[in-house]
Amino acid sequence: MEEIEGDMEEVFAENLAQHSVKKSRRLYNREVLKLLRPALVRGLGGNHQLNYLGMLQHNLLITLRGFKRHKATFFINLIGLSTGLAASLLIFLWVNDERSVDTFNEKNDRLYWVFTNFALPESILTWNYTSGKLAQAIKEEFPEVEDAVRVGNHFFRPQGTISHSEKNFEVNGLFASSNFFQVMTYPLISGTTESIIQDKSSVAISESLAITVFGTVENAVGNTIEWESSLLNQPFVVSGVFKDPPKNATEQFNIVVNYQALIDAEEWAEDWKGGYARTYLLLKEGADAEQLNKKIASLMYGKTDNNKQSLFIQPYAKAYLHGRYDNGIQVGGKIENVRLFTVIAILILLIACINFMNLSTAQASKKMKEVGVKKAIGANRGDLVFQFLGESILLSVLALLVAIGLVVLFLPQFNEITSKQLEFNLSDFILPLLAIVLGTGILAGSYPAFYLSGFKPVAVLKGKVANLRGEEWIRKGLVVVQFTLSIIFIIGVITINKQIEYTYNKPLGYDRENIITFTRKGPESFDPTPFLTALRALPGVTSVGNMSGDFLWGNDNSSGYSWEEGDTDDNHLFKSPRIGYNIVETLELKLVAGRAFSKEMNDDESKIMLNETAVKFMGLKDPIGFQLEASPDDFKEVIGVVSDFQYGSLHQEIEPMLFRFRSSGDDFMVRLQPGTEVNTLEKIKTIYAKFNPKYDFEPSFLEDDYRALYSTEDKVAQLSNYMAAIAILISCLGLFGLATFTAERRSKEIGIRKILGASQVVVVKLLTATFTKTVLISIVLAIPIGYYFSNEWLHNFAYSIELKWWFFALAGISALLIAWLTVGFQTLKSARVNPVDCLRNE
Amino acid sequence: MKKTKLGEFEELVLMTVVVLQTEAYGVEIKRELEDRLKEKLSVGSIQSALKRMEEKGFLTSEFGEATQKRGGKRKRIYSATPYAHRILEEMKDIRTQLWSAMPNMATS
Repeated sequence: MEEIEGDMEEVFAENLAQHSVKKSRRLYNREVLKLLRPALVRGLGGNHQLNYLGMLQHNLLITLRGFKRHKATFFINLIGLSTGLAASLLIFLWVNDERSVDTFNEKNDRLYWVFTNFALPESILTWNYTSGKLAQAIKEEFPEVEDAVRVGNHFFRPQGTISHSEKNFEVNGLFASSNFFQVMTYPLISGTTESIIQDKSSVAISESLAITVFGTVENAVGNTIEWESSLLNQPFVVSGVFKDPPKNATEQFNIVVNYQALIDAEEWAEDWKGGYARTYLLLKEGADAEQLNKKIASLMYGKTDNNKQSLFIQPYAKAYLHGRYDNGIQVGGKIENVRLFTVIAILILLIACINFMNLSTAQASKKMKEVGVKKAIGANRGDLVFQFLGESILLSVLALLVAIGLVVLFLPQFNEITSKQLEFNLSDFILPLLAIVLGTGILAGSYPAFYLSGFKPVAVLKGKVANLRGEEWIRKGLVVVQFTLSIIFIIGVITINKQIEYTYNKPLGYDRENIITFTRKGPESFDPTPFLTALRALPGVTSVGNMSGDFLWGNDNSSGYSWEEGDTDDNHLFKSPRIGYNIVETLELKLVAGRAFSKEMNDDESKIMLNETAVKFMGLKDPIGFQLEASPDDFKEVIGVVSDFQYGSLHQEIEPMLFRFRSSGDDFMVRLQPGTEVNTLEKIKTIYAKFNPKYDFEPSFLEDDYRALYSTEDKVAQLSNYMAAIAILISCLGLFGLATFTAERRSKEIGIRKILGASQVVVVKLLTATFTKTVLISIVLAIPIGYYFSNEWLHNFAYSIELKWWFFALAGISALLIAWLTVGFQTLKSARVNPVDCLRNE
Repeated sequence: MKKTKLGEFEELVLMTVVVLQTEAYGVEIKRELEDRLKEKLSVGSIQSALKRMEEKGFLTSEFGEATQKRGGKRKRIYSATPYAHRILEEMKDIRTQLWSAMPNMATS
């Protein structure tokens, strides 16, 4: 512009030399008008182009300097948000995995599982198995059923040892109808779905089994394996190889045998009265499952002697998470844990986000001067909004990166705790994660961005800041929410841990230490007597006994007994394990009256023992010698009464029990002398190998098995311990940050107070008081909520601890202590500061 | 002449800049051209041509000294870039070639 103005002056001077002043002016004006050309006139928008990139760089620089200057806040914020994100991410991985279980079937949406409700006089039992004949019958009767599969149920699986060219291999398989592979999605590597397991002498094996036995998949097909067990005793031809069932399948098996082979071994497998099969239905597209459910209910009526079985179907994949039934009604199952942890994850995320917002806003209110200066220089509001939002988004994205790192780092440990094989696929989570992180960033940044940026620069720079009381309130409110959640977590953790401890330590009525159990495999024609004698002769063995069925699972039941005294409920289903000699002695069960089964007295199947509850239940006054009618004209003499003990897990109550006698049980219990376990175990192994050469010896300690019964609770306890720790950590970080902030803002006040004679104690009290109040409010809020949830959880157990007042007191006091500890350092620091330092500069 | 887009008037201004060398600023260019073309030019037309050519990369400029006559405003001295020189050469060549290729019409 300058040069044009100069030119104009020059021209004007020239003109003045030639023309009158007037004319020169006129000419000048004309020239000016002529100058209005697009090439010379700038655009209308502002005087200069804004340097956006420059501003971005500037903002970034300011942000990074801010991080560097307020290192503590920065790290607290980063650590808080990233641990929160990482923890909830891990939980969501787990939840996702739980939800995906059994959904791998291609026709998953049309696949249903037939369940049976068995009516007892006082309750309804729900079975996931049915008669083996049901599949065919349903397929024939209901047109909307495209196909029906039967699979041998849990108790009837082709398990044990197979051999090929003199080598033994352990297998665990399924009996399945020939259309199994057509309906269920277990992809085949070799063979076609129509051609494998079509007859009872052909089997399909899994890829890994094929490789262990035959070296390669190609070698497997057409080759034969030998099977020798109580159920199967014949060679089989391998007709196909399938891929190992996916990790998220509940059904894990490495061999599939035609159901017909089971029928050959057990005729009840093909009988309306047998409960040998699981029945899976594949409905036609568009078929109405509800409709079918109504029609199918009464299918079993008339097929058995009793009309106590009614059927219903539910989606195949639903059975895993919704596996618990109470009186025939679906009441939850694993889904409860999934829900619990989803809630925990959301709460942790919430705590972390609250923290982040709290600290960011606290930090931002220090930026008022910055806002004032910037606005005075000429920044408009949009620029400030952009800057503050950018800053908090940058921080949250940093936190996300750290969180992803943490997840990758801790996934192996997490997998160990949850006994899962989770994998972290970033691509599955990146969108929701980004949404959460950006959302948090924007929310946290919105306070400074939209509120602070609205201040009048003059007011801010003069120090006339609008009252920030409201803001204080919000911040305190957020801390209250955080601490309430943390205290609820602490209460929950105490309850869970106490319950678990109770379960482990509850006197069960028998001594479960130093007992090993193992199951003998192999042919049924086996006389345990010489084996037992050999075992008993071992020096490290105190006592040995055998029984039938797993002692801890307690699922051996029988009914149909009648008796005279007391009331008559001859359909009661008694827990009725079948035990051999010496079991009572081995377990150290206490006898209340009479004696246990004994060899010397030649006790046999005609004798029976009861527990105290059973005696009470039947109303027997003099149980010893009582003749119990097991079935018409088959009387059993009661020879002993055992004091009550916990049979099965603590989820079950102690029920009336009968002990039936069986000398040939395959489950052995050996009580070892303490201190000689390893040695004795070796010797037992040798003896086992002598009597049962072809089969593996797999002993386990009863104590461990008992613990395994509670593995779910154990996992829940462990996980919730960690999660509570994380929640508390994050809350404390937040509190620490806020304490720092408050102390800093009140430093002048503290200085003046100290000059006027306040002691350190007074200052510490002053600063702690506000936080104490907040935590107290949280405690008051948390206790009823915590009580409600803990109580709900304890209802899962038949025998549970009672919630004691000190759980809540402990939770409250520990929260308060943690809060004081966190705040303490900061307050002490600011209380000890020389007042001159904080009052020196204005 | 392909991408250069050097208009006729611009070419004249550019050549004047080259001719004037260190004295090549707005009014001086205007005066020189008015002399040669024997017609009045406005400041605006010269200035816009200069600015345009500067954008196109034919000219560079720097501030010169200020004089009393200019009301204390500095001159902007223009100079042609090597690129401009090359383009001017090219155009001259093209013209010469065309002239030599023309049938001798003017004389007939």
